[in-house]
Amino acid sequence: MYEMNQNLRLARAYVPFQVFSQRWEPLEGLMKGTIFPELYFPYKRREY
Amino acid sequence: MWFYEKKLQYPAKVGRANLQMAKFLITQYGGPDGELAASMRYLTQRYTMPVPQAKGLLTDIGTEELAHLEIIATLVYKLMDGASVDEIKRAGLGAYYADHDKALYLVNGEGVPWTAAYIQSKGDPIADLHEDMAAEEKARATYEWLINLSDDPDLNDTLRFLRQREVVHFQRFGEALQIVQNYLDCKKVY
Repeated sequence: MYEMNQNLRLARAYVPFQVFSQRWEPLEGLMKGTIFPELYFPYKRREY
Repeated sequence: MWFYEKKLQYPAKVGRANLQMAKFLITQYGGPDGELAASMRYLTQRYTMPVPQAKGLLTDIGTEELAHLEIIATLVYKLMDGASVDEIKRAGLGAYYADHDKALYLVNGEGVPWTAAYIQSKGDPIADLHEDMAAEEKARATYEWLINLSDDPDLNDTLRFLRQREVVHFQRFGEALQIVQNYLDCKKVY
């Protein structure tokens, strides 16, 4: 897990590039807030 | 230059007027992690981005945040609609009413007015993009706390949409960060 990837530099943040794969239809995308299923992370309400 | 579309990006429905919720929600209008701060941050920082992709992205997201500002304003307005002075007093909005009636004003939930001190424009694209990614996460968290505070399914539906947009924006700023980092690395080599 802590093995150094040779392409990654220390003291730098990395976000992987999104690669286009699939998408929802426009209306469903609008309702969800994104047309990309892999970017959809809905919130589960916290119960206190 | 901008073109205005006379409709909201996403429907802004509320189940019922709710002054308490209006007081909480107004922080996304004029609060530190709100939509105005987001928009002004991106539209201000874009000039000193070194690559066109980052300039364009800040323009696009800064513009979308204005559309979100409009949604928040609509929601707050509807949540306060029809309230009596007595109800306003009981919800802790008496001081707000004295200054603004039921008009929209850029304040956080405590009534503190919006300030440019909420945002930075550093001239260093790496620093600025990190601020932008943090801003998206802070706005996402704010929407989650607001959803926890609200028992209105219609309101929460719109808040969930706005929250998901923050997730998408984080991804885009992250991609812009990689592009800018690569660009700056290449500049050092050649």
